[in-house]
Amino acid sequence: MLAESTYGAWFPPMLSEHGGEIDHLISVVHWFMLALFVGWGIFFVYCLVRFRQRGGHKAVYNPVKGKISKYVEIAVGVFEAFLLVGLSMPVWDWYKNEPPDAGADRCEIRVVGEQFQWNFHYPGPDGKFGRTDAALIDTATNPLGIDWENEDAKDDVFSQEMHLPVGKDIYVRITSKDVIHSFAIPTMRVKQDSIPGMEIPVWFKVKKDATTAKLKESMTQTYPIDKIKWRRIRHHVAVEDYQDRSGQVVLAKGAPLGNNLEQGEKLINTLRESGHTELVLQPANPLEVICAQLCGNNHYTMKAQLITHEPADFDAWVQEMIEDRTAGSEMFEDF
Amino acid sequence: MSAEHHHEHDLPFWRKYVFSVDHKVIGVQYTVTGLLFLFFGFCLMMIMRWQLAYPLEAIPVIGTWLSQSMVDADGVLIGDGYNALGAMHGTIMVFLGVVPLAVGGFGNFVLPLQVGAPDMAFPKLNMASYWVYLVGGIVMLIGFFVPGGAANSGWTSYTPLANIATTGQTVWLFGMVLLITSSLLGSVNFIVTTVQLRAKGLSFFRLPFFVWAQFVTSFLLLLAFPPLEAAGVLQLMDRLADTSFFMPTGLVVSGELQESIYSGGGSPLLWQHLFWFLAHPEVYVLILPAMGILGEVIACNTRKPLWGYKSLVYSAIFLGFMSFIVWAHHMFMTGMGTTLSTFFQATTMIISVPSVIILTCFIISLWNASIRYNTPMLFALAFLPMFAIGGLTGLPLGLTASDIHLHDTYYVIGHFHYVVAPGTIFALFAGVYHWFPKVTGRKMSEFMGKLHFWPSFVFINAVFMPMFFVGMAGVLRRQFDQTEQLQGAVVHGLTIMSSWGAWGLGLAQIPFIINFFWSIRKGEKVGDNPWEATTLEWAAPSPPPHGNFETVPVVHCGPYEYSVPEKKTDYCPQNVVMEA
Repeated sequence: MLAESTYGAWFPPMLSEHGGEIDHLISVVHWFMLALFVGWGIFFVYCLVRFRQRGGHKAVYNPVKGKISKYVEIAVGVFEAFLLVGLSMPVWDWYKNEPPDAGADRCEIRVVGEQFQWNFHYPGPDGKFGRTDAALIDTATNPLGIDWENEDAKDDVFSQEMHLPVGKDIYVRITSKDVIHSFAIPTMRVKQDSIPGMEIPVWFKVKKDATTAKLKESMTQTYPIDKIKWRRIRHHVAVEDYQDRSGQVVLAKGAPLGNNLEQGEKLINTLRESGHTELVLQPANPLEVICAQLCGNNHYTMKAQLITHEPADFDAWVQEMIEDRTAGSEMFEDF
Repeated sequence: MSAEHHHEHDLPFWRKYVFSVDHKVIGVQYTVTGLLFLFFGFCLMMIMRWQLAYPLEAIPVIGTWLSQSMVDADGVLIGDGYNALGAMHGTIMVFLGVVPLAVGGFGNFVLPLQVGAPDMAFPKLNMASYWVYLVGGIVMLIGFFVPGGAANSGWTSYTPLANIATTGQTVWLFGMVLLITSSLLGSVNFIVTTVQLRAKGLSFFRLPFFVWAQFVTSFLLLLAFPPLEAAGVLQLMDRLADTSFFMPTGLVVSGELQESIYSGGGSPLLWQHLFWFLAHPEVYVLILPAMGILGEVIACNTRKPLWGYKSLVYSAIFLGFMSFIVWAHHMFMTGMGTTLSTFFQATTMIISVPSVIILTCFIISLWNASIRYNTPMLFALAFLPMFAIGGLTGLPLGLTASDIHLHDTYYVIGHFHYVVAPGTIFALFAGVYHWFPKVTGRKMSEFMGKLHFWPSFVFINAVFMPMFFVGMAGVLRRQFDQTEQLQGAVVHGLTIMSSWGAWGLGLAQIPFIINFFWSIRKGEKVGDNPWEATTLEWAAPSPPPHGNFETVPVVHCGPYEYSVPEKKTDYCPQNVVMEA
């Protein structure tokens, strides 16, 4: 299943429990569209040829009789009703009306958009979000204005990466500090505008085996070096060391192919000249949270890395974040 | 009649051709201005396509000429510059290009002639409408020269982004208020002219479909634009007087709490509702006149009556009505609940039915026809499958569940461009070729016309077809550099293809530009009715004098009496009792 999970020119990888139904709906609609288009197209082309103006051919004044068009129109109406009631509304109903039960099994996250970054606030093991106060906001160290002295905030986690446990209910409460953004994870088939002054929840579940580690593995590909364009693999890294003729490592394992077009092309050239015919690459990180609503100058850079873990590893990550912060603040107090 | 002629000759040049109250001169003014703005808006897009295909590389040739609000010192586009190009491309194409051309241009020139009127009901209002439009257009262009550059919050100008944007947004709002005012003046005129000035015998169901389409469009303009005008003024107040109509409480911009500036308590979503309450009917303002043109061109060049004339008329009216209750389908991702979204996706599915009926009527009209493949007909025929693609791809966007994935992606861009560019703009080209002989007394070159049509047809599909695949892959619209994201980097090749398609499309317009100006002076001279058409405009001289008709026309039959059995010719003009 994960083997199919590569990015390409149709659906991106689909890694959430509900996403399959959305893809199914999109596929059905497209087959329906194709059937209509081809049907119309055949009739259209036939008419263009058969009824072209030529010697001896005359147009007929009286309208053609027949009910086919009426039946087609009724069929289109009925099928659209089916799409609406049968395929679209059930998904939407779940997406909007059936939140997962609150409890230990539900992973809750506050997401706050701002120009041009995503902020994630986790409640920690106690399940309670600490107090936030706009007066405490510091763009560099505390973008959400979390009151770390607050009792509920002691075990909170603030992060600009989104970490999620697989196979568990994810409940995200989305808002914005400044303008309207849109919280979008294409691979999860999740999208929700983040609107200042409103907090809007969405929920979903990451497929059980869709951990970042496994995805990297499944997205590892061999690229013929002559076909590599830097822009298309700019988010990829090498899975092994590549050396030039002198034996010096020019592309180290885990490193990207340069940070810009110039560097990238130069490196690709060096590798080609060193006799490499193909490179084995994988995405540095296969999943991203992006912003789907124009939010200003650097809108296009507004993204966060999304990292999925086994539930146990996720808990470990939370602990580590808490410890890092407490250690950091103790150091700060000592200082 | 001769008195009319004398009167015309007495007018000084500037009253006859500049500040004219003659609907035909105003129509031509609208057409030429609209075409210029279309071309300008297209040029903005060709610059954007460079950045999309070759991100952060210097724009060739013109890069260093652009203002510092758009490019850096090396001539590389910057994010705000790209966003300004995007916002202005949309605004210019819709409000300064297509609508003025479709309604102001064709409507003004053709509608009074087709109803057999000597002029519009309110000629001075008509003149005012054009000049307010022109000033609105110039104001829009001034935006490029203010500090911070032109408006850069999208043609949709969503708040609060637009509220905190640079001065260009204020200029944009002033421009919009003028453009809306112009449309309102025009629409009143069209409605009154259609109702009051029809020739004797020209009952509503003898009106050409073009007149019906313009008539319904005018109601949309009249009823949908005022809410946006109000919204525009509210946004101006937010920007200039620090009111909080669209500003919520507790906004923090760049770390600064905005409470000292705004009291808060406003709603950012209010703007979206007001905007889309206009902008969805606006979609039908873009498409209905195009369908009207199509009706004329297809009936004339199939040499038979349109199939299902009454269905076409009822569908157009129903489409107009329904277009007022689908607007929130642009807002499914704003957190809309199930009840509301169910209503709006249901109305969206319902509105597709009259569109399907209209398309079906046009296609069935080809059956038993005798199709003349001249340039206007080629453009009209190409409209049909491409509008079908545009319409069909609206389906997955209108269903909330599939919209989750497709919302705000390139799929949306592909969808509405197929409706408006290969759809409406192709129909507008059909109209230009079709009515050119009426305006000038000369035909445009057929050879150059075909040289315009075929490359345009190929390239326009090369531009927009890849967008469906790019969008399906999850690439979002309004991205300065799509390769910044994983899914965008992978399908970047398709985006490069779109860009080359766009530049090819630009080149393909050169034959049109040459043909247009060449034919004004050198085109083949033709009589009053070169296409052997039936509707009343062809009963007037070419070009029609001030006052239009030499004798007041009286209508005897329906609009599309082609190939009536046992008649002398294969067409019966509406004003002629045809002998057997």
